[in-house]
Amino acid sequence: MLDLVYGALADPTRRAILATLAEGEANVGSLAERFPISLNGVSKHVKVLERAGLVERAVHGREHRLRLNPEPLREASMWLEHYRTFWDARLGALETFLLDKRRGGRPPSSGRGR
Amino acid sequence: MNAAGEGAPVLVVRRRIAVPRDQVFAAWLDSESLAQWMRPGDCTTATVTVDPRVGGGFRIVMDGPTHGAVEHYGEYLAIEPPSLLSFTWISQPTEHRATIVTIEFEERGGATELVLTHRGLPAKAVEGHRKGWTDVVRLLDEALTRAG
Repeated sequence: MLDLVYGALADPTRRAILATLAEGEANVGSLAERFPISLNGVSKHVKVLERAGLVERAVHGREHRLRLNPEPLREASMWLEHYRTFWDARLGALETFLLDKRRGGRPPSSGRGR
Repeated sequence: MNAAGEGAPVLVVRRRIAVPRDQVFAAWLDSESLAQWMRPGDCTTATVTVDPRVGGGFRIVMDGPTHGAVEHYGEYLAIEPPSLLSFTWISQPTEHRATIVTIEFEERGGATELVLTHRGLPAKAVEGHRKGWTDVVRLLDEALTRAG
């Protein structure tokens, strides 16, 4: 499922459609007016977003209302946050290590000076 | 382009370190150095072996009370001192699939601007790290920023 989410987010037009829907519901026709591509083109992008679960469609008679569903983004963002925390902390430890070494201090938990 | 395909998550972390970049670069390829700072969370020891040449490998075993011994390993893809380092990063959290870490070291008047990019991690790695963090808008912002 998340592979579909990342695939959906890989395209700039689809990201722009999501940003538009983040402001409120829209239908395919009103989306097509905002982008320099055909109705058919917008429709294809919307289908990719629907498959990824990022967009939901409500049918009211002849009108199809599209709505952003942010839930699939939540898992993706948790992954990013995990590794952001990991690398932030590692780079902080690297900085401390290098500055200590520079001051002629010894690295923590190593019995030897360097 | 990358190991896990177009659209996989890309993480960029920056840090400015007040040390010349040749020293910052060297710290990434020295096993004694890595053992000092590759210790996340309550990890008490990191056991490190490196074979610092393109095609050579590294192995870091982080050991601590919470997660036990967690092995991380990979292969060097590019070693261009003092400006660029790239390697694969493989571990249980990446489902033992290759992800790619690229580090750029930029000279900043005797200091170093370090830019780390981690890309291609598999989607399922997310599920192991459910910690209640739910900032949806941020990812969307980042996706839009990258597009710009």
